Amino acid sequence: MDLGAIISILFMSLMAMVPIVLTSVGAAWSERAGVVSIGYEGVLLMSAFFGAIFAELTGHATIGLLGGILVGILLGMLHGAITVYLKGDHVIPGIGINLLALGVVPFGILAYWGTAGQHQLPLNAQMWHISTQYGELSPMVGVTIVIAVVTWWVLFKTPLGLRVRSVGENPEAADALGINVEKYRFWSTVYGHALAGLGGAYMSVDWLGLVHKTMSGGRGFIALANMVFSGWNPLVSLIGGWLFGFFDALASWLAPKHIIPGQFILMLPYIMTLIIVAGIIGKARPPKWDGRPYKRE
Amino acid sequence: MEKQPIIEMKGIVKVYPDGTKALKGVDLTVYQGEILGLLGENGAGKTTLMKILFGMLHPTSGRILIRGKEVQFRSPSDAITHGIGMVHQHFTLVEVFDALHNIILGMEGHGLFSRIDVKKAREKLQKLMNDLNFQVPLDVPVEDLPVGVQQRIEILKMLFRDIDVLILDEPTAVLTPIEVEELFRVLRHLKEEGKTIIFISHKLNEVIELTDRVTVIRKGEVIGTVETKTATPQLLARMMVGRDVVLRIEKPPKEAGEPILKVENLSVKGDRGEKAVKSLSFEVRAGEIFGIAGVEGNGQTELIEAITGLRKPENGRVYLNNVDITGKGPRELYGLGMAHIPEDRTHMGLILEMTVTENALLGLQWKRDFQRWSGVINWRRARGHAKSLIEEFDISAPGTEAPVKSLSGGNQQKLIVAREVSKAPVLIVAAQPTRGVDVASTEYIRNYLVKLRNEGKAVLLVSADLDEVVQLSDRMGIIYEGEFMGVVKPEEVSTEEIGMMMGGIRYEEIRK
Amino acid sequence: MKKSGSEILESLNIKALIESLIAIFIGFLIGAIVLGAFGYDPLSAYYWLFQGALGSTYGIASTLRYATPIMLTALTFALGTRTGIFNIGAEGSFYFGAIAAVIFTNIWANMWFGLAMGMLLGALWALPAAALKVYRGVHEVISTIMLNWIGWFFVLWLIVGPYANPNDPNKTIRIPIEARLPNIGYGLSIAIIIAVIAAALTYFLLWHTTLGFSMRASGMNPKAARYGGMSPKKAVMWSFILGGLLSGLGGAMKIMGEGPTYAISQGGANIYGFGFDGIGVSLVGRNHPLGIILAALFFGMLRAGTALMQAEAQVPLEIIKVIQGIIVITVAIPGLYDLIKKVARRGAA
Repeated sequence: MDLGAIISILFMSLMAMVPIVLTSVGAAWSERAGVVSIGYEGVLLMSAFFGAIFAELTGHATIGLLGGILVGILLGMLHGAITVYLKGDHVIPGIGINLLALGVVPFGILAYWGTAGQHQLPLNAQMWHISTQYGELSPMVGVTIVIAVVTWWVLFKTPLGLRVRSVGENPEAADALGINVEKYRFWSTVYGHALAGLGGAYMSVDWLGLVHKTMSGGRGFIALANMVFSGWNPLVSLIGGWLFGFFDALASWLAPKHIIPGQFILMLPYIMTLIIVAGIIGKARPPKWDGRPYKRE
Repeated sequence: MEKQPIIEMKGIVKVYPDGTKALKGVDLTVYQGEILGLLGENGAGKTTLMKILFGMLHPTSGRILIRGKEVQFRSPSDAITHGIGMVHQHFTLVEVFDALHNIILGMEGHGLFSRIDVKKAREKLQKLMNDLNFQVPLDVPVEDLPVGVQQRIEILKMLFRDIDVLILDEPTAVLTPIEVEELFRVLRHLKEEGKTIIFISHKLNEVIELTDRVTVIRKGEVIGTVETKTATPQLLARMMVGRDVVLRIEKPPKEAGEPILKVENLSVKGDRGEKAVKSLSFEVRAGEIFGIAGVEGNGQTELIEAITGLRKPENGRVYLNNVDITGKGPRELYGLGMAHIPEDRTHMGLILEMTVTENALLGLQWKRDFQRWSGVINWRRARGHAKSLIEEFDISAPGTEAPVKSLSGGNQQKLIVAREVSKAPVLIVAAQPTRGVDVASTEYIRNYLVKLRNEGKAVLLVSADLDEVVQLSDRMGIIYEGEFMGVVKPEEVSTEEIGMMMGGIRYEEIRK
Repeated sequence: MKKSGSEILESLNIKALIESLIAIFIGFLIGAIVLGAFGYDPLSAYYWLFQGALGSTYGIASTLRYATPIMLTALTFALGTRTGIFNIGAEGSFYFGAIAAVIFTNIWANMWFGLAMGMLLGALWALPAAALKVYRGVHEVISTIMLNWIGWFFVLWLIVGPYANPNDPNKTIRIPIEARLPNIGYGLSIAIIIAVIAAALTYFLLWHTTLGFSMRASGMNPKAARYGGMSPKKAVMWSFILGGLLSGLGGAMKIMGEGPTYAISQGGANIYGFGFDGIGVSLVGRNHPLGIILAALFFGMLRAGTALMQAEAQVPLEIIKVIQGIIVITVAIPGLYDLIKKVARRGAA
């Protein structure tokens, strides 16, 4: 393998890391506040779909990305309302969101574009890329890095972050000191899902330039694995996310080479996720009230 | 100087959604600058009353006046704004934060998105600690600090918010006598600074030592308020219990028989890998109650779990009837004649969502009596079993198929005792058997333990309630940091001596 | 056993079932709005949906046929939740049940052998997630989803590779005629009967055996279960294994019981998605075997009606997945019944 190939894989992995990092960072923030969601897979898929519609309608990829964020916000509000205000189970709404995405996206592709399962975006709806001889890079790679760093800084250095972490560790203590537990939890959930929404829209209007009914490909769950692997730390998520992006890129790079059957290459990211998670969990310590509804006496 | 009431609570009634009347029209007046003792038994309503004052609970009816002005608190932060702070029995600290961040939480200063000025906060806290003449480490995660220090952080957290009235709910329950002295020194200092303190307790001596006045609460009503200098322990006890004598247990002398439980050099690790029990040895004989006294968190939980098969010991051996049971699981131990009344009733002893029948079967499900054929449960028999437990132990329950969470705490505990006794054990391990249980059930359970002892069973009693251990035990070991400071007969030592042992001084050194 | 009828109902919780009905109503309502928004006629769509599912004997047979696999995968999820875990791995076990049926009936053309091997491979594929949960503390949602994907690509490889049909290389080889499930008319095999029996056995396991007792106890309070002499770890293991076995059975019966090809079709299209649908079925059926039978029949009905809906109203069949997702989200709202009562009262006042 020559240097060119290495740089090429590096570029691919940076592109592949974006949705995973954004979702991991969002999920880490949300879980630091004590709200678990497994619905990010559905958020990615739905915001990829709606983001593409927004981009096509306006002819601006940026609007598409904002549309993805909007989808994330709405789904986050739904999840937050059920878990935070109605004190519901944290896992089941996510199952519902994922199932909903499995319906909405294929239905929508067919109903909106009239094609089955896949739609290619016109060029004017796609994000511009920096082209080099080794491949392309999206400005979203930079945005993602900035978001991860800023989120980390706010979470660990500011009063806002301190309060978010306190409602996820010991909401009773926070409540007694006048911190509105429900408000912090709700908006943390919204933020988490909004970042996933951005990641989803990135996949369609930026990275791949197409919408496909299974395009999220388990990334919502890989991102959760990465969040755990990163110890609920946005900054570490960035590195972890790049690692997962690397396996993704490696699979795409290997696929056309026909060294082994394509199916085995496609398995690679999932197998690596499983191995990494199996090796790391046990040491990782989630926030103490993660996933538990808080109800005042 | 005329005494000014700082807090007046008038006609406070609290009815819980399930219909329990916790407070039946309570009046309470607290004067500026005093230490008021709030005395009462478990479940008398002291904590409920103070949670209302602190805004955690809302009264069903009644009024609260602060400095003569009526207030309505929607949350604890409302109370804090009005200068009222509370330190709970179970601390509300964020365990992974250090003391500094725990204290400044919610009062970080500046905007939400600006950087927290840790240096400034530290200076401010250091000054506060110097004024109060006590210190806590500010940079260590609070989970790594001893409970006495955590309590001081809680107090600091309140004082940092400039409160005038400090409520402390049973603050000495988790402290050693030395730590209690230190706490009292701090509280007296605060009083000199002009703060008002409400001290909730059920311990007569502490109330007499510390307070200026005492208000006694019994079954949700105020029985009376007395000046502490005119009060005697006898008077307060009578007011608190409503009878002349505190619980008296009839316990005929009995010669202990063969050793049933033998513990040899047992070492057990705690959840965080610390040495919780250090090479402990003792035995419990037939027809004997062996008590273990000590401040909570000195290895009692780990010791019991190791004996009852819930935790693997690191070293040492345990024998039941001369059978080596070290490392055996609960299922085997129940078969060998062990019964276990666990300390955590709602999280371990019962499954609250399950029915009375299912809970009555917990731990007995493999018994042939309850199997239709191998592996299939005979629910008809199980229901009959539950019914007989209810009758025999006079448990008030809506029925055998009602969820066990619909029972009161006392009845839940009686169900556990009934079930464990129905295992026909030779050894009963009873941990905190009467914690949070009403007086009638407490008396019943204590008498039952004595009855079991009279029948020749071995009883291992672990309790944080010193009176309970002293009254019930034939012999007792006082545990401190996983070791016995002494193994004595209760009638042969004074309360002071027990207190010193609980604080880590060995019996031999005391008697020297 | 004369009281057993009321016993089953007692364990079911009627109020929860009413909430499921409300959720179904809301699902249809929002589904209609979505249809309207995309320019379809929701009334005509729903008319043909029900016409297709219930309007003919063939429709009813289709309903039962579609209800079968999701009934079994729903039981997998229910066994999990009753044990306190979210086992999303039915999907993967289903694939392995299907491919096992193809492989092993072509070794020995015997129906029972095929079913048994389907169950065995389904259970085996559930094992890694069980072990990771019990020994490494890996959250089962993550591990089972990863295993689903790994299993999916593996089975795809088997379909186009070693077990491809030489005459029709996009499909697998067929189930031999001797090993196919007996047909009871209108394309319906005895699979539905086996699935209902499996539901009954699951009920019996959970509420009448010591293993079921310890599974439920572990699910509600593992600490108390351990104290009661049970092993929550063992309960979790069994929950995964028996769950995998049920989904494996579902996968095997899907291929062995459904013509005309009796093979896994191109891209695994006829074995994909049943595990995920089963989760919805289980949640709507309140994770109770009886509720699951009813919910599976309901979702089976939706699926059976899509053919006519597509043909007559030109509505894409995916709309039922939209409805299903909304139903599940609605079911996730706690105290839905009381909430609606409160809103209704406020509206009336």
